Amino acid sequence: MTLIAGLRAASYGVPFQPVGGVHGSDLARINGWQTVTDPYGSGQEVYVIPAIRPDVAIIHVNEIDEEGNARVYGSPFWDHPLTRAAKRVLVTAERRVPTDTLRKQPELTLVPGFMVEAVAIVPRGAWPGSMHPLYEIDYAAVEAYMKDEPGVLEAHLAAAPEARRTVNSQF
Amino acid sequence: MWTPFSYLVVNLARQIRPDEIAFSGVNSTLPMLACLLAKRAYDFRFIYINVAGGVEPVPKKIPHSSSDPAIVEGSPAIFANEDFYDLCARGRLDLVFLGCAQVDAEGRTNVSVIGSWHNPKVRLPGGGGAAVMLPTAKRVVTWRTEHSPRTLVDKLDFVTAAGNMAAVVTPIALFQRDAGKNGRFVLESWNPQVTLNEVAQRTGFKFDASGATPTPAMTRREHQALLDLDPEGEFAAEVRA
Repeated sequence: MTLIAGLRAASYGVPFQPVGGVHGSDLARINGWQTVTDPYGSGQEVYVIPAIRPDVAIIHVNEIDEEGNARVYGSPFWDHPLTRAAKRVLVTAERRVPTDTLRKQPELTLVPGFMVEAVAIVPRGAWPGSMHPLYEIDYAAVEAYMKDEPGVLEAHLAAAPEARRTVNSQF
Repeated sequence: MWTPFSYLVVNLARQIRPDEIAFSGVNSTLPMLACLLAKRAYDFRFIYINVAGGVEPVPKKIPHSSSDPAIVEGSPAIFANEDFYDLCARGRLDLVFLGCAQVDAEGRTNVSVIGSWHNPKVRLPGGGGAAVMLPTAKRVVTWRTEHSPRTLVDKLDFVTAAGNMAAVVTPIALFQRDAGKNGRFVLESWNPQVTLNEVAQRTGFKFDASGATPTPAMTRREHQALLDLDPEGEFAAEVRA
Protein backbone atom coordinates (compact mmCIF):
# COMPACT_ATOMS: atom_id res chain seq x y z
CA MET A 1 0.00 0.00 0.00
CA THR A 2 2.78 2.44 0.86
CA LEU A 3 4.56 1.00 -2.21
CA ILE A 4 1.51 1.80 -4.35
CA ALA A 5 1.48 5.28 -2.80
CA GLY A 6 5.12 5.78 -3.85
CA LEU A 7 4.35 4.55 -7.37
CA ARG A 8 1.32 6.83 -7.51
CA ALA A 9 3.43 9.86 -6.58
CA ALA A 10 5.69 9.01 -9.53
CA SER A 11 2.67 8.48 -11.82
CA TYR A 12 1.16 11.79 -10.78
CA GLY A 13 4.48 13.57 -11.24
CA VAL A 14 4.60 14.82 -7.63
CA PRO A 15 7.30 14.23 -4.99
CA PHE A 16 5.14 12.42 -2.44
CA GLN A 17 1.74 10.86 -1.93
CA PRO A 18 -0.48 11.06 1.18
CA VAL A 19 -1.62 7.64 2.43
CA GLY A 20 -4.13 6.40 5.01
CA GLY A 21 -3.01 4.53 8.12
CA VAL A 22 0.66 3.84 9.01
CA HIS A 23 0.17 5.39 12.47
CA GLY A 24 1.74 3.19 15.14
CA SER A 25 4.03 1.33 12.71
CA ASP A 26 7.82 1.17 13.19
CA LEU A 27 8.08 1.22 9.39
CA ALA A 28 7.63 5.01 9.48
CA ARG A 29 10.72 5.40 11.69
CA ILE A 30 12.84 2.92 9.71
CA ASN A 31 11.94 4.50 6.38
CA GLY A 32 11.99 8.10 7.61
CA TRP A 33 8.37 8.70 6.51
CA GLN A 34 7.05 12.12 7.47
CA THR A 35 3.58 13.40 8.21
CA VAL A 36 1.83 16.55 7.09
CA THR A 37 -1.11 18.21 8.77
CA ASP A 38 -4.09 18.80 6.49
CA PRO A 39 -3.43 22.30 5.11
CA TYR A 40 -7.21 22.74 4.64
CA GLY A 41 -7.87 22.71 8.36
CA SER A 42 -9.32 19.30 9.29
CA GLY A 43 -6.43 18.82 11.72
CA GLN A 44 -5.78 15.32 10.36
CA GLU A 45 -2.16 14.25 10.37
CA VAL A 46 -1.39 12.17 7.29
CA TYR A 47 1.70 10.19 6.34
CA VAL A 48 3.31 11.12 3.00
CA ILE A 49 5.32 8.53 1.07
CA PRO A 50 8.14 9.68 -1.22
CA ALA A 51 7.81 8.96 -4.94
CA ILE A 52 9.12 5.62 -6.17
CA ARG A 53 10.12 5.85 -9.80
CA PRO A 54 11.43 2.51 -11.11
CA ASP A 55 14.00 2.77 -13.89
CA VAL A 56 12.33 -0.12 -15.71
CA ALA A 57 9.03 -1.96 -15.38
CA ILE A 58 8.84 -5.39 -17.00
CA ILE A 59 5.42 -6.99 -17.31
CA HIS A 60 4.12 -10.12 -18.98
CA VAL A 61 0.82 -9.87 -20.88
CA ASN A 62 -1.49 -12.10 -22.89
CA GLU A 63 -1.40 -10.32 -26.23
CA ILE A 64 0.46 -7.53 -27.92
CA ASP A 65 0.32 -5.94 -31.37
CA GLU A 66 3.15 -4.61 -33.49
CA GLU A 67 2.72 -1.13 -31.96
CA GLY A 68 3.30 -2.52 -28.45
CA ASN A 69 -0.32 -2.18 -27.33
CA ALA A 70 -0.51 -4.73 -24.52
CA ARG A 71 -3.65 -6.60 -23.53
CA VAL A 72 -4.22 -8.41 -20.23
CA TYR A 73 -7.05 -10.84 -19.60
CA GLY A 74 -8.18 -11.19 -16.02
CA SER A 75 -6.69 -9.47 -13.01
CA PRO A 76 -3.95 -6.91 -13.69
CA PHE A 77 -2.51 -7.14 -10.14
CA TRP A 78 0.17 -4.35 -9.98
CA ASP A 79 0.59 -3.76 -13.71
CA HIS A 80 -1.30 -0.47 -13.89
CA PRO A 81 0.49 1.56 -11.19
CA LEU A 82 3.82 -0.05 -12.08
CA THR A 83 3.74 0.82 -15.78
CA ARG A 84 2.62 4.40 -15.07
CA ALA A 85 5.36 5.00 -12.50
CA ALA A 86 8.36 3.55 -14.34
CA LYS A 87 10.66 5.53 -16.62
CA ARG A 88 10.78 2.69 -19.16
CA VAL A 89 8.33 -0.15 -19.86
CA LEU A 90 9.34 -3.51 -21.34
CA VAL A 91 6.70 -6.09 -22.19
CA THR A 92 6.81 -9.81 -22.81
CA ALA A 93 3.69 -11.40 -24.30
CA GLU A 94 2.20 -14.82 -24.86
CA ARG A 95 1.38 -14.00 -28.46
CA ARG A 96 1.14 -11.35 -31.09
CA VAL A 97 -2.25 -10.25 -32.46
CA PRO A 98 -3.29 -7.78 -35.18
CA THR A 99 -4.03 -4.23 -34.05
CA ASP A 100 -7.57 -4.63 -35.39
CA THR A 101 -8.18 -7.26 -32.71
CA LEU A 102 -7.32 -4.72 -30.01
CA ARG A 103 -9.47 -2.02 -31.63
CA LYS A 104 -12.55 -4.15 -31.07
CA GLN A 105 -12.13 -4.07 -27.29
CA PRO A 106 -9.72 -1.25 -26.41
CA GLU A 107 -10.71 -1.43 -22.72
CA LEU A 108 -8.72 -4.66 -22.45
CA THR A 109 -5.50 -2.88 -23.42
CA LEU A 110 -3.60 -2.22 -20.21
CA VAL A 111 -0.63 -0.36 -21.69
CA PRO A 112 -0.86 1.68 -24.91
CA GLY A 113 1.97 1.10 -27.33
CA PHE A 114 3.42 4.59 -27.12
CA MET A 115 4.50 3.83 -23.52
CA VAL A 116 6.25 0.59 -24.45
CA GLU A 117 9.93 0.65 -25.36
CA ALA A 118 10.50 -2.98 -26.34
CA VAL A 119 8.60 -6.23 -26.53
CA ALA A 120 9.34 -9.93 -26.89
CA ILE A 121 7.00 -12.80 -27.66
CA VAL A 122 7.61 -15.39 -24.96
CA PRO A 123 5.00 -18.15 -24.85
CA ARG A 124 4.63 -19.49 -21.29
CA GLY A 125 6.84 -16.62 -20.20
CA ALA A 126 5.19 -16.33 -16.79
CA TRP A 127 6.40 -19.82 -15.83
CA PRO A 128 6.61 -21.02 -13.08
CA GLY A 129 3.94 -18.43 -12.32
CA SER A 130 0.49 -18.53 -13.86
CA MET A 131 -1.03 -16.74 -16.85
CA HIS A 132 -4.78 -16.47 -16.76
CA PRO A 133 -6.56 -18.14 -18.53
CA LEU A 134 -3.81 -20.08 -20.32
CA TYR A 135 -1.97 -21.92 -17.57
CA GLU A 136 -1.77 -22.29 -13.81
CA ILE A 137 1.09 -21.95 -11.33
CA ASP A 138 3.58 -24.82 -11.64
CA TYR A 139 3.72 -25.55 -7.91
CA ALA A 140 6.14 -28.47 -8.38
CA ALA A 141 8.63 -26.21 -10.18
CA VAL A 142 8.31 -23.55 -7.46
CA GLU A 143 8.92 -26.11 -4.73
CA ALA A 144 11.95 -27.56 -6.55
CA TYR A 145 13.37 -24.05 -6.96
CA MET A 146 13.01 -23.32 -3.24
CA LYS A 147 15.47 -26.09 -2.26
CA ASP A 148 18.75 -24.63 -1.01
CA GLU A 149 21.08 -27.02 -2.83
CA PRO A 150 23.78 -26.80 -5.49
CA GLY A 151 22.50 -27.04 -9.05
CA VAL A 152 18.93 -25.98 -8.24
CA LEU A 153 19.16 -22.63 -10.01
CA GLU A 154 20.77 -24.19 -13.10
CA ALA A 155 18.12 -26.92 -13.25
CA HIS A 156 15.38 -24.31 -12.89
CA LEU A 157 16.74 -22.14 -15.69
CA ALA A 158 17.19 -25.17 -17.95
CA ALA A 159 13.57 -26.20 -17.38
CA ALA A 160 12.16 -22.77 -18.33
CA PRO A 161 9.96 -22.82 -21.45
CA GLU A 162 12.05 -20.16 -23.19
CA ALA A 163 15.21 -22.25 -22.64
CA ARG A 164 13.64 -25.28 -24.27
CA ARG A 165 12.65 -23.47 -27.44
CA THR A 166 14.23 -21.22 -30.00
CA VAL A 167 12.51 -17.87 -29.71
CA ASN A 168 12.13 -15.75 -32.82
CA SER A 169 11.72 -12.11 -32.07
CA GLN A 170 8.98 -10.76 -34.26
CA PHE A 171 9.91 -7.14 -33.81
CA MET B 1 -13.24 -33.66 16.87
CA TRP B 2 -11.18 -30.65 15.77
CA THR B 3 -7.99 -30.85 13.76
CA PRO B 4 -5.62 -27.85 13.85
CA PHE B 5 -6.77 -27.13 10.27
CA SER B 6 -10.50 -27.36 10.90
CA TYR B 7 -10.27 -25.33 14.11
CA LEU B 8 -8.43 -22.54 12.30
CA VAL B 9 -10.61 -22.38 9.19
CA VAL B 10 -13.97 -22.68 10.98
CA ASN B 11 -13.10 -20.18 13.69
CA LEU B 12 -11.80 -17.72 11.10
CA ALA B 13 -15.07 -18.17 9.17
CA ARG B 14 -17.07 -17.53 12.35
CA GLN B 15 -15.56 -14.01 12.55
CA ILE B 16 -17.44 -12.95 9.40
CA ARG B 17 -20.68 -11.09 10.10
CA PRO B 18 -23.76 -10.56 7.93
CA ASP B 19 -23.50 -7.85 5.25
CA GLU B 20 -19.79 -7.31 5.77
CA ILE B 21 -17.24 -6.76 3.04
CA ALA B 22 -14.47 -9.24 3.88
CA PHE B 23 -11.00 -9.41 2.34
CA SER B 24 -8.24 -12.02 2.22
CA GLY B 25 -4.69 -11.20 1.10
CA VAL B 26 -1.45 -12.88 0.03
CA ASN B 27 -0.12 -15.94 1.85
CA SER B 28 -3.59 -16.31 3.39
CA THR B 29 -4.79 -19.73 2.34
CA LEU B 30 -6.63 -20.36 5.62
CA PRO B 31 -8.68 -17.12 5.52
CA MET B 32 -9.37 -17.71 1.81
CA LEU B 33 -10.80 -21.11 2.73
CA ALA B 34 -12.66 -19.53 5.67
CA CYS B 35 -14.40 -17.04 3.36
CA LEU B 36 -15.30 -19.80 0.90
CA LEU B 37 -16.52 -21.96 3.81
CA ALA B 38 -18.70 -19.15 5.15
CA LYS B 39 -20.33 -18.83 1.71
CA ARG B 40 -21.30 -22.50 1.88
CA ALA B 41 -22.10 -22.95 5.57
CA TYR B 42 -23.86 -19.73 6.56
CA ASP B 43 -27.11 -18.32 5.21
CA PHE B 44 -26.30 -14.65 5.59
CA ARG B 45 -25.00 -12.43 2.81
CA PHE B 46 -21.52 -10.95 2.81
CA ILE B 47 -19.14 -9.78 0.10
CA TYR B 48 -15.86 -11.63 -0.35
CA ILE B 49 -13.04 -9.88 -2.19
CA ASN B 50 -9.42 -11.03 -2.45
CA VAL B 51 -5.93 -9.87 -3.30
CA ALA B 52 -6.00 -11.42 -6.77
CA GLY B 53 -8.82 -9.02 -7.66
CA GLY B 54 -11.70 -11.45 -7.19
CA VAL B 55 -15.10 -10.14 -6.14
CA GLU B 56 -17.54 -12.86 -5.06
CA PRO B 57 -15.50 -15.51 -6.93
CA VAL B 58 -16.88 -18.95 -7.70
CA PRO B 59 -13.67 -20.91 -8.32
CA LYS B 60 -14.05 -24.37 -9.82
CA LYS B 61 -10.85 -25.51 -8.17
CA ILE B 62 -9.47 -23.99 -4.97
CA PRO B 63 -5.87 -22.84 -5.48
CA HIS B 64 -3.19 -23.44 -2.86
CA SER B 65 -1.98 -19.87 -3.15
CA SER B 66 -4.45 -17.22 -2.00
CA SER B 67 -3.10 -14.83 -4.65
CA ASP B 68 -3.50 -17.30 -7.55
CA PRO B 69 -5.56 -15.82 -10.42
CA ALA B 70 -7.73 -18.94 -10.09
CA ILE B 71 -9.35 -17.29 -7.07
CA VAL B 72 -10.77 -14.64 -9.42
CA GLU B 73 -12.70 -17.26 -11.41
CA GLY B 74 -16.42 -16.63 -11.64
CA SER B 75 -16.10 -13.02 -10.41
CA PRO B 76 -18.55 -10.60 -12.02
CA ALA B 77 -15.98 -7.83 -11.46
CA ILE B 78 -12.26 -7.40 -10.97
CA PHE B 79 -11.12 -5.16 -8.15
CA ALA B 80 -7.39 -4.58 -8.60
CA ASN B 81 -4.79 -3.97 -5.89
CA GLU B 82 -5.06 -0.22 -5.73
CA ASP B 83 -8.87 -0.54 -5.58
CA PHE B 84 -9.06 -2.70 -2.46
CA TYR B 85 -6.31 -0.78 -0.68
CA ASP B 86 -8.20 2.44 -1.33
CA LEU B 87 -11.46 0.83 -0.23
CA CYS B 88 -9.78 -0.06 3.06
CA ALA B 89 -8.13 3.35 3.49
CA ARG B 90 -11.46 5.13 3.06
CA GLY B 91 -13.00 2.96 5.74
CA ARG B 92 -15.18 0.61 3.72
CA LEU B 93 -13.52 -2.75 4.38
CA ASP B 94 -15.37 -4.26 7.31
CA LEU B 95 -13.18 -7.30 7.89
CA VAL B 96 -9.61 -7.86 6.75
CA PHE B 97 -7.64 -11.04 7.38
CA LEU B 98 -4.00 -10.06 7.90
CA GLY B 99 -1.24 -12.54 8.65
CA CYS B 100 1.61 -12.08 11.10
CA ALA B 101 4.75 -13.73 12.44
CA GLN B 102 4.18 -12.31 15.92
CA VAL B 103 1.18 -10.71 17.57
CA ASP B 104 1.10 -9.05 20.99
CA ALA B 105 -1.64 -8.60 23.58
CA GLU B 106 -2.70 -5.27 22.01
CA GLY B 107 -3.13 -6.92 18.61
CA ARG B 108 -0.11 -5.24 17.06
CA THR B 109 1.72 -7.37 14.51
CA ASN B 110 5.24 -8.05 13.32
CA VAL B 111 5.70 -9.26 9.76
CA SER B 112 9.07 -7.56 9.25
CA VAL B 113 11.95 -9.00 11.26
CA ILE B 114 12.95 -11.34 14.10
CA GLY B 115 15.81 -9.78 16.02
CA SER B 116 16.73 -6.17 15.32
CA TRP B 117 16.00 -4.40 12.05
CA HIS B 118 19.66 -3.69 11.36
CA ASN B 119 20.98 -7.05 12.59
CA PRO B 120 18.15 -9.51 11.92
CA LYS B 121 18.01 -13.13 12.97
CA VAL B 122 15.28 -13.68 10.37
CA ARG B 123 14.20 -11.17 7.74
CA LEU B 124 10.46 -11.67 7.19
CA PRO B 125 8.49 -10.95 3.98
CA GLY B 126 7.10 -7.58 5.12
CA GLY B 127 3.69 -6.18 5.78
CA GLY B 128 2.17 -6.18 2.30
CA GLY B 129 -0.09 -3.28 3.18
CA ALA B 130 -0.59 -4.19 6.85
CA ALA B 131 0.60 -0.79 8.11
CA VAL B 132 -2.22 0.83 6.16
CA MET B 133 -4.88 -1.86 6.52
CA LEU B 134 -4.64 -2.64 10.25
CA PRO B 135 -5.41 0.95 11.31
CA THR B 136 -7.98 1.67 8.57
CA ALA B 137 -10.03 -1.56 8.30
CA LYS B 138 -13.01 -1.65 10.63
CA ARG B 139 -11.89 -5.01 12.04
CA VAL B 140 -8.83 -7.14 11.41
CA VAL B 141 -8.48 -10.83 12.23
CA THR B 142 -5.15 -12.64 12.32
CA TRP B 143 -4.14 -16.28 12.82
CA ARG B 144 -1.15 -18.43 13.64
CA THR B 145 -0.77 -22.14 12.95
CA GLU B 146 1.76 -22.23 15.80
CA HIS B 147 0.49 -21.26 19.24
CA SER B 148 3.57 -20.55 21.33
CA PRO B 149 5.26 -17.78 23.34
CA ARG B 150 7.34 -16.97 20.25
CA THR B 151 4.26 -16.24 18.10
CA LEU B 152 1.86 -14.82 20.71
CA VAL B 153 4.42 -12.60 22.35
CA ASP B 154 4.71 -10.27 25.32
CA LYS B 155 6.89 -7.91 23.27
CA LEU B 156 7.19 -7.69 19.48
CA ASP B 157 10.64 -7.55 17.90
CA PHE B 158 9.25 -4.90 15.53
CA VAL B 159 5.86 -3.21 15.14
CA THR B 160 4.88 -3.59 11.48
CA ALA B 161 1.31 -2.51 12.09
CA ALA B 162 -1.01 -1.39 14.87
CA GLY B 163 -4.70 -0.59 14.90
CA ASN B 164 -8.03 -2.32 14.69
CA MET B 165 -7.12 -5.92 15.51
CA ALA B 166 -10.26 -7.75 16.63
CA ALA B 167 -9.26 -11.41 16.95
CA VAL B 168 -6.52 -14.00 16.67
CA VAL B 169 -7.20 -17.67 15.94
CA THR B 170 -4.74 -20.52 16.59
CA PRO B 171 -5.27 -24.29 16.55
CA ILE B 172 -6.18 -24.17 20.25
CA ALA B 173 -7.76 -20.81 21.01
CA LEU B 174 -9.72 -17.77 19.89
CA PHE B 175 -8.83 -14.43 21.46
CA GLN B 176 -10.89 -11.31 20.89
CA ARG B 177 -10.05 -7.71 21.49
CA ASP B 178 -12.22 -4.67 22.08
CA ALA B 179 -10.28 -1.50 21.33
CA GLY B 180 -12.88 0.41 23.35
CA LYS B 181 -12.05 -1.43 26.59
CA ASN B 182 -8.43 -1.79 27.67
CA GLY B 183 -7.41 -2.87 24.18
CA ARG B 184 -5.95 -6.23 25.22
CA PHE B 185 -6.88 -9.64 23.89
CA VAL B 186 -9.19 -11.64 26.12
CA LEU B 187 -9.71 -15.37 25.70
CA GLU B 188 -13.08 -15.84 24.00
CA SER B 189 -12.99 -19.64 23.70
CA TRP B 190 -10.58 -22.53 23.58
CA ASN B 191 -10.30 -25.87 21.84
CA PRO B 192 -11.75 -28.37 24.38
CA GLN B 193 -9.12 -30.90 23.29
CA VAL B 194 -6.60 -28.93 25.38
CA THR B 195 -6.84 -27.48 28.89
CA LEU B 196 -7.20 -23.83 29.72
CA ASN B 197 -3.89 -24.18 31.54
CA GLU B 198 -2.17 -25.32 28.34
CA VAL B 199 -3.48 -22.26 26.49
CA ALA B 200 -2.00 -20.02 29.20
CA GLN B 201 1.31 -21.93 29.17
CA ARG B 202 1.66 -21.58 25.43
CA THR B 203 0.76 -17.86 25.29
CA GLY B 204 3.49 -15.24 25.70
CA PHE B 205 1.20 -12.53 27.05
CA LYS B 206 -1.11 -12.45 30.07
CA PHE B 207 -4.82 -12.47 29.31
CA ASP B 208 -8.21 -12.44 30.96
CA ALA B 209 -9.97 -15.81 30.62
CA SER B 210 -12.86 -15.12 32.98
CA GLY B 211 -15.46 -15.06 30.21
CA ALA B 212 -14.01 -17.90 28.14
CA THR B 213 -15.97 -20.98 27.19
CA PRO B 214 -15.01 -24.13 25.26
CA THR B 215 -15.36 -23.51 21.52
CA PRO B 216 -18.71 -24.81 20.22
CA ALA B 217 -18.32 -27.90 18.05
CA MET B 218 -18.35 -27.74 14.26
CA THR B 219 -21.84 -27.70 12.84
CA ARG B 220 -22.85 -30.26 10.24
CA ARG B 221 -22.83 -27.56 7.56
CA GLU B 222 -19.39 -26.27 8.53
CA HIS B 223 -18.08 -29.82 8.42
CA GLN B 224 -19.65 -30.50 5.03
CA ALA B 225 -18.32 -27.23 3.58
CA LEU B 226 -14.82 -28.10 4.76
CA LEU B 227 -15.10 -31.51 3.09
CA ASP B 228 -16.28 -29.86 -0.14
CA LEU B 229 -13.36 -27.40 -0.12
CA ASP B 230 -10.69 -29.95 0.76
CA PRO B 231 -11.96 -33.37 -0.31
CA GLU B 232 -8.48 -34.91 -0.48
CA GLY B 233 -7.22 -33.35 2.74
CA GLU B 234 -4.43 -31.55 0.87
CA PHE B 235 -4.94 -28.22 2.62
CA ALA B 236 -5.32 -29.93 6.00
CA ALA B 237 -1.95 -31.67 5.49
CA GLU B 238 -0.28 -28.25 5.19
CA VAL B 239 -1.14 -27.38 8.81
CA ARG B 240 0.97 -29.38 11.25
CA ALA B 241 -0.27 -30.10 14.74
